[in-house]
Amino acid sequence: MLGASISRWTMAYFAAALLCLLAGLTAIAAGFGYPQTGLRAPETLVIVHLVAIGWLSLLILGALFQFVPVLVGKPLRDQALVLPALLSLLAGLGLLLAGFLRLAGVVEIELPLLAWGGVLLAAGFLTAIWPLARTMLDAPTLPLSARFVATGLASLGGTFLLGGSFAFVLSGVTATSTLVELHANAVPYHALAGFGGWLSCTAIGVSYRLLPMFMLSPDTERATGRVAWLSLSMALVLVVAVMPLMVLVGAAAGTKVSIVLAVAGALALGSVVLYGTDIAFFYRNRKRRKTELNLRAAGGALVALYAAIALFIAAAVRGTLDVHAGAITYLFAFGWLSGLGLSQLYKIVPFLTWLECYGPVMGRRPTPRVQDLVVERRVEPWFVLYFASVAIGTGALLAEAPGLLRAAAATTLIAVIIIIAELILARRLHNVAPEARLPEGARVPRLFLPAASNR
Amino acid sequence: MNMPHRDLDVRPILKEGGEPFSVIMDAVAELKPGQSLRLFATFKPIPLFQVLGSRGFTPSAREIGNGDWEVIFTPSDIATSRELSAPSTIASASADAWPPPSIQMDNRDLDPPEPLVRTLEGVEQLAPGETLVALLPREPLFLFDELKARGLAWRGTMETDGSYRIEIRAVEQEPSP
Repeated sequence: MLGASISRWTMAYFAAALLCLLAGLTAIAAGFGYPQTGLRAPETLVIVHLVAIGWLSLLILGALFQFVPVLVGKPLRDQALVLPALLSLLAGLGLLLAGFLRLAGVVEIELPLLAWGGVLLAAGFLTAIWPLARTMLDAPTLPLSARFVATGLASLGGTFLLGGSFAFVLSGVTATSTLVELHANAVPYHALAGFGGWLSCTAIGVSYRLLPMFMLSPDTERATGRVAWLSLSMALVLVVAVMPLMVLVGAAAGTKVSIVLAVAGALALGSVVLYGTDIAFFYRNRKRRKTELNLRAAGGALVALYAAIALFIAAAVRGTLDVHAGAITYLFAFGWLSGLGLSQLYKIVPFLTWLECYGPVMGRRPTPRVQDLVVERRVEPWFVLYFASVAIGTGALLAEAPGLLRAAAATTLIAVIIIIAELILARRLHNVAPEARLPEGARVPRLFLPAASNR
Repeated sequence: MNMPHRDLDVRPILKEGGEPFSVIMDAVAELKPGQSLRLFATFKPIPLFQVLGSRGFTPSAREIGNGDWEVIFTPSDIATSRELSAPSTIASASADAWPPPSIQMDNRDLDPPEPLVRTLEGVEQLAPGETLVALLPREPLFLFDELKARGLAWRGTMETDGSYRIEIRAVEQEPSP
C-alpha cells in the first residue's frame, strides 16, 4: 500500500472546530470572561479551552489526519480510531467546560466534572495521536515538516498530562500536595506547551509543506529549517518537561527559573526567526507569480505571530507579562493560529472537495479548476476585516477597553461567519457553473460526513 | 553473476551539459534479472547510489583517470522485494520491458491538482499497452489511488531535484464494461 487518500472524518473535525470558534467568539463578544473577570477565572478558562481544544486542536487534528499520510507518503494507520477520538474529545470538552462553569458557580452539579472531562480529553487525544504516530513510524525517515508535527504531538502529550493533573486538583478529586503545588506553579507551562508547542509547532510543520506546495516553490529541506526544528524542540523540552519537573521537585525558584526560561525563549525566538526566513525564501523563489488568497491571508497570520512575539518580549523586558498576557494570548490565538487556520481552510476545503468530487473523472471528462470552487475577491475583504478586528481587539486589551474588545470580537465573529458560509458554498460546488458542476461520474460530496463508500 | 554487465556511457551526455538520469533509469529498467549495470560518468554519481540503492542495487565505484568514474551497480537477491517497499521507487508493475513511451509530458510547473489532471488526460489517450512518461512536481500521492482504481500499472522514481518521474502503462485489453 502506498499513497494517500481522502481522510474520511477530516471535514467533521473541521465542522466541529468551526462551531467551537463561533461559540468562543460569541462568548467574548458577549462580555464573558476576561477582562470582565480575571485571566485565570473559570469563565476565562471556558473560552480559552473552547478555542484551544474545540477550535484549534480539532482543526489541527483534522488537518493532520489528512496531511500526515501526505507528509510521510504512507497511508493512515488505524483509521477506525479517528471518529472515536473526535467523539471522546467533544464529550471531554463538554465536561471540562461544564466543570469550569461549576467553578464559576454558573451550574450547580456536585460531580467531579473537570476530572471526568480531563480523562475523556486525555483518552481522546491519545486515540488521535495513536494513528498519527503509527503512520509516522511507518516512514523510513521523517521529512522536516513531519518532525515538527512529531514535536507538536509530544508537546500535546505534555499539555494534557499537566492539564489533566490540574483538572483532578480543581475538581477536588485529589489534594496531593505535589499536584496542588504543580497547579499553583505550572499553569503557564501548560499554556505554553499548548499554544507554543502543540498548536504552533504543528502549524509550522504543516505550513513548511503546504505553502511551498501551493506556491510551487522548491521545498528541498534547508539547513535553516532543520535548525529551526531543533531549537524549537529544545525550547519545548525546557518548557514542557524541565520546568514542570523543577516545580515537582521544588527547585523552581529564583534565578534558576529565569535562566531556564531565558534559554527557552532565546531558542524559540531563533526558531521562529529562521522559520520566517524559510517562508520568505519560499515566497521569493516561487514559480507561481500570482498569489492566491490563502497565501495572502497566511501573510496576515505571520505578521500576527511576529507582532505577538514582539509584544511578549516587550512585556517581559518591562516586567508587565502578568498584565499583558491576555492581549498577547489573544493576538497569538486569533491572529497567528486562527488566522493561519482559516486561511489554509480556504485552500484545503476546496482542494479536498475537488478531489473527492472530481477525482474519479480526472482526465476522462472536463472538470472545473479548483479555483472555480471559490470566489476569492468576494471573501478577501472579510479576511481583511478578520485580521483588522483581531488587531483592534488586541489593542483594546492592551488599552484596557473592554467595550472596544467586545465590538472587535463581534466584528471578528461576523467575518468568521462569512468565511464559513463561503466554505459551505465551496463544499456545495455553488460557485461552479451549473453545466460544468457535475460531469457524469463525479461524486457530490456531503457537507461534513464522509461519502457512503469509497467506490 | 556470470551474466555480462550492461554498459552505459553517459559521459558524452554530461559533456554536452545534458541530464542522463532518464537514460540511466531506462537502462536499469531494461536490465535482465540478476544483470548488473556498468556506468561510465565524468563524476562519482553519488545521488544515483541512493536512487539505485533503494531499488536493491549495490554500487562499486572506481576512478578510471581523467576524473572519470566507472560504477558497477550489482543487483542484490532481494532487489525485487526491496523495490516494492522502497520509498523512492515504487511500482505497481514488475520491471519487465515496457515499450518506449508514446506520450511524454512535463507537468512540473503546474498548480496542484493540474499535474494529476494532465497526467490522467494523457493516460486516457493511450492505446492498450502503450505507455506514458510524466514529470511531476513531487511524489503524486493522490494519483496512486486513482491509478489503482483504474487498474493501471505504473512505476515511478524520485528524481534528484525532488520532482517525480512516473511511467504509466495502459492495460493490454480494454476493461470489461
